[in-house]
Amino acid sequence: MSEFLDLEALDGIRMPWNVIPGTREDAASCVVPVSAIYTPLKSIPNVPVVPYSPLRCRMCRSILNPFSMVDYDAKIWLCPFCFQRNHFPQHYSSISENNLPPELFPQHTTIEYISTPETGPAVPPVFIFVVDTCMIEEEIGYLKSALAQTAELLPDNSLIGFITFGTYVQVHELGFGLLPKSYVFKGTKEVSKEQILEQMCFFAGKQKPATGVIAGTRDGLSSESISRFLVPASECEFVFNSVIEELQKDPWHIPADQRASRCTGTALSVAASLLGVCVPGSGARIMAFVGGPSTEGPGSIVSKSLSESIRSHKDLDKDSAPLYDKAVKFYDQIAKQLVHQGHVLDLFACAVDQVGVAEMKVAIEKTGGIVVLAESFGHSVFKDSLLRIFQSTEDDLGLSFNGILEINCSKDIKIQGIIGPCTSLEKKSPLSADTVIGQGNTSAWKMCGLDKKTSLCFVYDISRKVGPDSITQSTSNQLYLQFVTYYQHHDGQMRLRATTISRKWASSSDNVQELIDGFDQEAAAAVVARLVSFKMETEADFDPIRWLDRALIRLCSKFGDYQKETPSSFSLSTRLSIFPQFMFNLRRSQFVQVFNNSPDETAYFRMMLERENVGNAVAMIQPSLISYSFQSGPAPVLLDVTAIAADKILLLDSYFTVVIFHGITIAQWRNAGYQDQEGHEVFAQLLKAPHEEAGTIIKERFPVPRLVVCDQYGSQARFLLAKLNPSVAYNSDNPSPGGDVIFTDDVSFEVFMDHLQRLSVQ
Amino acid sequence: MSRPPPPFAPQNPTPGPNPAGPASSLPASFSNLQISRAPPPFASGGPPPGNGPAPSSIRGPQAPPPGARPFPGSPPPPSQPAPPLARPAASVQQSPPFGGPPAAQPQQMPPFNGSPFGPPAQVQRAPFGGPPGASQPPPFSGPPAALSQHPPFGGSPAAPTQPGPLGGPPYSAAQPPPFGGLPGAMAQRPFSGGSMPPFGGQQPPSQQGPYGGPPQFGGQRPGSQPPPFGAQVAPPSQPPPFMGPPGLNAPAFGPPGWQGQARPGIVPGGMQPPMRMPGMPGNMLPSALGQGMPSTPTMPYSPHAGAQVSTPSKIDPNQIPRPITETSVTIFETRQGGQAAVPPAASSEFIVKDTGNCSPRLMRCTMNQIPCTGDLLTTSGMPLALMVQPFALPHPSEEPIQLVDFGEMGPVRCSRCKAYINPFMRFVDQGKFFICNLCGFSNDTPREYLCNLGPDGRRRDADERPELCRGTVEFVASKEFLVREPMPAVYFFLIDVSMNAVHTGATAAACSAISQALSDLPEGPRTMVGIATFDSTIHFYSLKRSQQQPLMLIVPDIQDVYTPLQTDLILPLSECRESLEQLLESIPNMFENNRVADSAFGAAMKAGFLAMKSTGGKLLVFQSVLPSVGTGSLSAREAEGRSNISTGDKEAHKLLQPVDKTLKTMALEFAEYQVCVDVFITTQSYVDIASISVVPSTTGGRVYCYFPFSALSDPAKLFNDLRWNISRPQGFEAVMRVRCSQGLQVQDYSGNFCKRVPTDIDLPAIDSDKTIMVTFKHDDKFQENSECAFQCALLYTTVYGQRRIRVINISLTCTSMLSNLFRYADLETQFTYLVKQAASGIPSSPLSQVRDQVTSTCINILQSYRKYCASVSSSGQLILPEALKLLPLYTLALIKSIGLRNDGRVDDRSYWVSIVSSISVLLAVPLVFPRMISLHDLTSRDDEDTLIPNPLTLNSENIHDDGIYLLENGEDGFIYVGNAVNPVTLEQIFGVSSLAGVPTQLALEQFDNELSKKVNEVLNEIRRQRCSYLRLRLCQKGDQSGDFFRSLLVEDKAPGGLSYVEFLVHVHRQIQSKMT
Repeated sequence: MSEFLDLEALDGIRMPWNVIPGTREDAASCVVPVSAIYTPLKSIPNVPVVPYSPLRCRMCRSILNPFSMVDYDAKIWLCPFCFQRNHFPQHYSSISENNLPPELFPQHTTIEYISTPETGPAVPPVFIFVVDTCMIEEEIGYLKSALAQTAELLPDNSLIGFITFGTYVQVHELGFGLLPKSYVFKGTKEVSKEQILEQMCFFAGKQKPATGVIAGTRDGLSSESISRFLVPASECEFVFNSVIEELQKDPWHIPADQRASRCTGTALSVAASLLGVCVPGSGARIMAFVGGPSTEGPGSIVSKSLSESIRSHKDLDKDSAPLYDKAVKFYDQIAKQLVHQGHVLDLFACAVDQVGVAEMKVAIEKTGGIVVLAESFGHSVFKDSLLRIFQSTEDDLGLSFNGILEINCSKDIKIQGIIGPCTSLEKKSPLSADTVIGQGNTSAWKMCGLDKKTSLCFVYDISRKVGPDSITQSTSNQLYLQFVTYYQHHDGQMRLRATTISRKWASSSDNVQELIDGFDQEAAAAVVARLVSFKMETEADFDPIRWLDRALIRLCSKFGDYQKETPSSFSLSTRLSIFPQFMFNLRRSQFVQVFNNSPDETAYFRMMLERENVGNAVAMIQPSLISYSFQSGPAPVLLDVTAIAADKILLLDSYFTVVIFHGITIAQWRNAGYQDQEGHEVFAQLLKAPHEEAGTIIKERFPVPRLVVCDQYGSQARFLLAKLNPSVAYNSDNPSPGGDVIFTDDVSFEVFMDHLQRLSVQ
Repeated sequence: MSRPPPPFAPQNPTPGPNPAGPASSLPASFSNLQISRAPPPFASGGPPPGNGPAPSSIRGPQAPPPGARPFPGSPPPPSQPAPPLARPAASVQQSPPFGGPPAAQPQQMPPFNGSPFGPPAQVQRAPFGGPPGASQPPPFSGPPAALSQHPPFGGSPAAPTQPGPLGGPPYSAAQPPPFGGLPGAMAQRPFSGGSMPPFGGQQPPSQQGPYGGPPQFGGQRPGSQPPPFGAQVAPPSQPPPFMGPPGLNAPAFGPPGWQGQARPGIVPGGMQPPMRMPGMPGNMLPSALGQGMPSTPTMPYSPHAGAQVSTPSKIDPNQIPRPITETSVTIFETRQGGQAAVPPAASSEFIVKDTGNCSPRLMRCTMNQIPCTGDLLTTSGMPLALMVQPFALPHPSEEPIQLVDFGEMGPVRCSRCKAYINPFMRFVDQGKFFICNLCGFSNDTPREYLCNLGPDGRRRDADERPELCRGTVEFVASKEFLVREPMPAVYFFLIDVSMNAVHTGATAAACSAISQALSDLPEGPRTMVGIATFDSTIHFYSLKRSQQQPLMLIVPDIQDVYTPLQTDLILPLSECRESLEQLLESIPNMFENNRVADSAFGAAMKAGFLAMKSTGGKLLVFQSVLPSVGTGSLSAREAEGRSNISTGDKEAHKLLQPVDKTLKTMALEFAEYQVCVDVFITTQSYVDIASISVVPSTTGGRVYCYFPFSALSDPAKLFNDLRWNISRPQGFEAVMRVRCSQGLQVQDYSGNFCKRVPTDIDLPAIDSDKTIMVTFKHDDKFQENSECAFQCALLYTTVYGQRRIRVINISLTCTSMLSNLFRYADLETQFTYLVKQAASGIPSSPLSQVRDQVTSTCINILQSYRKYCASVSSSGQLILPEALKLLPLYTLALIKSIGLRNDGRVDDRSYWVSIVSSISVLLAVPLVFPRMISLHDLTSRDDEDTLIPNPLTLNSENIHDDGIYLLENGEDGFIYVGNAVNPVTLEQIFGVSSLAGVPTQLALEQFDNELSKKVNEVLNEIRRQRCSYLRLRLCQKGDQSGDFFRSLLVEDKAPGGLSYVEFLVHVHRQIQSKMT
């Protein structure tokens, strides 16, 4: 297992199959697709950053890499993908075995190139705040203080824009010092880029060009007209603060039986168009702070009447959410526009109600935006997450912009698509497979926003067919994958990161062990989870449980060790042993069991799943549980109700939530205040340990998870119980040692395994 | 020959009523003006004879010497080319046109005062005749001398006496005076009202001075003597809008209030002309005057000298009818002896005592007796219409309109026609019933309102109850008149801040005007204000107190506007005054560098409207450029019209129609929500006023135009206009209906309002300057001597939020005598009708047609008179009804007015049309027939009893190179500076020794010297009279401005128009041809 982690540390890639099934049929029988989860900007300590442009193969445009064969004498390199021979250019003339450029060092499978000065100066990042004002005063107060804190952290050179919305959308002209000034757009009406140009006086004093694209300083707009709305943070501190200070509840009257009129869609459309006008093609984020459902204009998700409730999963299934499809279509348009412009949509949804994350998901995901879902703007999940975006610490997000990712693959392997926050550029090439999943039909993707954590799941297609020559033909049993990411680094420069990896083809279709050895069950779980949630969203009548069960059974049938029809004989290699457990938990997870969640929550969970790396995805699927007690040090324990004990503290990390659970005895002691008494330092220590651990988790994670501290039998304990394997349920015969039972009819893991074994051996 | 219209004698009786007393006075109403042609006869024998016979018509002369017919024949005078009329050679050089006419004088006589034609002779004389006689002589004699100067006619100009001209000296003597008399300078004063011994004087001898009153002309000669206009001068009543004479700009004008009657002294106690007369005119012929004046009370104005006159060949330009100014104040009781009294001229100063009929300021009819049948009306050629000005300013000495509160039951009304209780409702059967004077229905008297009748058949309480004894009262509106709470006084300002507006200073001027005017808004918590600026977007400002700075909210979508906030855009003035003032101060800076050239006027209005939709109110828009974008945007179609000449000419009037219905539709919506729009156009170019003006005219507002805007001189006017706009008496959310007695029905309303149903008009706002014209048609007959009543009911909300009904009643006698119609015709009202008719025709027909229409209306009326009332007189004479004797002159002026002349900008014409649509009788006349006075000799004139010197006749003979003249029409003031003016005078008035550098649009400063003070005083007095801050322009001889000035001298011959004399000849000829 650790070797996979090592590989990940080196290149940011994990693959379920590290030995690749040799033919299409083999791959299909492996159930889990050949795929890779790649974190393009993973923070890798020793990645060299070289100040020049990469060399590319003149045939396939792949980048020179350590796997290229070099003829030092002829100054020629052989492209490992297409086998094209390329001459080194003049400035590589001094190349020799002892004098290698960094990109050829074997350990430099990942390398970064910094753009040369000619490619343009560093461009400042742009942040447009889009702020909901239809909230109770208290929430507005929270939001104000959060924004005010943020204002201090904004990079000085970044350009700031500010938009508020409620019934109407107000675009604040921060560059106008004399008065608070804003443009007000009607909430019911979408605003196009052309209208923005026209209506916000971008042509003041100038003739509007008759034709051609008009946008940005390069294409016809004066920088003064742009700087009215996008002002360097260093220059607009005062205005920005006073605008925040004066934020007020939307003044339009709301009848008692109605929801506030909130035109989130229009606001986003205005923001998108404004960016499109001002800074097309340069990194910019729309940061939307939304405190409730959109009820006005395009993209609204529910009518104003309170008698109508916000759509639930059930409504969606039954097709009784009349606004849903329209809204999704609207946000899809916004997504297209933003992708075209290279801009990102971030969403901070803080409301007890749903706000329409499900509808907006498409725009967030396609642009690579960040999403944070919390109950209130006063909640630490929101506040801390927001700060994290701008705080520069080791764990900062390293927000980057405008990424374009291209891939190269060896022959016989093609790309079906990516499941993750990006958009297909529809650049069809021989590398694109016929079957498409996620963002496919291309070999290049746009990632308007990406950060150090953003992880994409590439799903490959093995195109080699079974045939007489199939095995013999391959001279080399190595295959290569290359990922090239061109992006605007958060310091403004353009960079290019190239990662090239090599994997082995399975030598024959019979050699199951070879495949098992290369099986990364965590990566596989992450991939399956992405697949299943993707299918749930896109395929009508998809039955995820059945699909998962069948897949697991097939996998176990193929790779398990058993005698036919003898369930008791069933065993799995350690490489596969935890996989059924992952699947068991996945079946019970929020990704599959949506009915306990709102569509917004589900959308949120899925978005996080689809942008996180393998480790975090696994935490989402199967939370980790650590037990603290006097008897032993912190130790991982089974995610089972039996882990609960009166004298233990449990720490559950389910990614979104971190739960510290005190056994009843511990809780009583704590309530009695022993930890503060002399002689009970150990107890104090014990109490503190899980908090420290939780702190560590929280610090590294974005969005900041919700921390729940609870006691056994307390109401908050449900956060833990929901995740535990119900090995002891209310209808069980034998009581749990910890005294807790789970009120559920769900099957427990044991029952699940029984069935699995039975079915696998058939 | 001229047979004077005979018999008026009878008439006298009528006059009787006039308190004024002198029986004689007679209503000068009718004098005929005849213009006869050939003077010669006159000259000699003529006169006397003339007198005898027809006093009036006189023109003793017989046929024109030339034999020629009236005008035609007459050869042009030597010097003057007056072509048409050419007078006989005789005609003197100078007196161009009519030279000949001296004869004319006599004519005047005929006045009918009294009765129709009958015994004219007598009558006249009576009035004038007699007395005058005596006096007259003098005049004449004098005149002659004077005359001499005027050589007008007499071919022999020189001939001092008329003789020349007229031939017979005697006459001349006598008559000449009338016209002839005008010695140069003096001449001008011709009309001093009072003074004028005019006719009387002159003619006396010969003919009796027709009217005392009218003497207008006569006076002249005395030239100096007569105190010209004196009396009339300022009709005090009107509040001096701009009281303070402050010199220039704004601040200057102090006291706003109209209330302030304070008009500067002027009219000294003497109100009655009669009185003064004596005093004044030393020279004048007392007698004449005496007589004339007396009548005054009734017909104080009798401005017209009615005269006849003229011979084509020789028409003495000095004797043709011209307005006389009244110098004295009269007291006018609206009903006397159970009958409606004939109201004084609108332009004279009078004090009304409401004795049953309303003040003529509030409502005035084109004729003071109503024809019994429609046929009679048609025959007369005259219009039947009311000019209703419900908030007209009272004279300061008048009693205020009384407020009557009927409590919850509301005002007593006829249960059938819903007419309001008024003095003409007849109570019967011990007061248990009352009979509606409008529909004749017998109503039960409400129990609470019962009262016994006295022996005279009136209710015993009639004199205590204003609604039973006053022509005008106000009722407190009871609940049934309220559809909602009375609206607050809301003022929303919209300011153009597009590039040109800022550059030309228009924005700054508007801001400063608003800022200064804030203090003139009604006090109190119900006064709300809001403000927005606009260029290609609309900028609202939230002035909410809690925010330190106003918040600027921009509405960028100008195709589909909205308000950015639901509240806080309009706040009580008391809560936001300071921040508003600060904002107004900073707006010009804020937009200093605005480079947006487009202006979304229509959209801005719409947005402003939306902001005030819930309450209604006044939307005051300051617009500086052609609205080029957004809803209701307009194009420079004037230029398009020019470039496309072929269609341009044919369809020229299309440019005077709104370009499409967008603004109209918008305006209707505004009106529905009680939003009144006033537009202040401060522009340098074409803005398509034709289209823009639709909005104000539909919502009860008006257009103000400052073209070309000057940051130097216009801000003062802008401020004063704005201030007057908000401080004058006015009401909101008004509904008006005019009811009339059975027999008549309302045909149409015209003015600035919105009409949704045929019977009522909706006025989002109504103010003291707005007049609504109501026309009537017969649907039945009246009994002779019955009364026809009109009742105007105006339901409105005061600026302080009270809902009231102002009920204005007038009841007039019906007549079946055509001659009575002429005799009781109200010239100014009829002329106002004509002007309005012409204005409404301008956008729909070619100008030449409109002019023809105007001329033919005039001709038809005169022809009817000639045919039915003066048929006995010789066809060689042009005989004018006394009351309408100025009709030709005014008609000529109308034809030459800005609205009807061929040259000029399309916008100027549209503006003219828009002003006219709501103009009052008082201002309509000067608008087309301006007043000219000389300024350079203000300090040296000898008629010091009035502030404003006597007007000069509007012909270029009165313009001298060494003089400075002011010509004003209530809107603009043109100061003409001759090119040989004494530099000292220049220095005194303008503060410069040479005019080279003085801008055309000038701001007249007050310097520390007597002349400058005088000039400013005079100017301020005029402003006060006109309720308008004149827009001053400097005109200099030799350049375009000078030419323009000369084009306003309506008596002159102009490239496209006849001279006055020529016009008279033309009219006469037309009548003659119709008669045959």
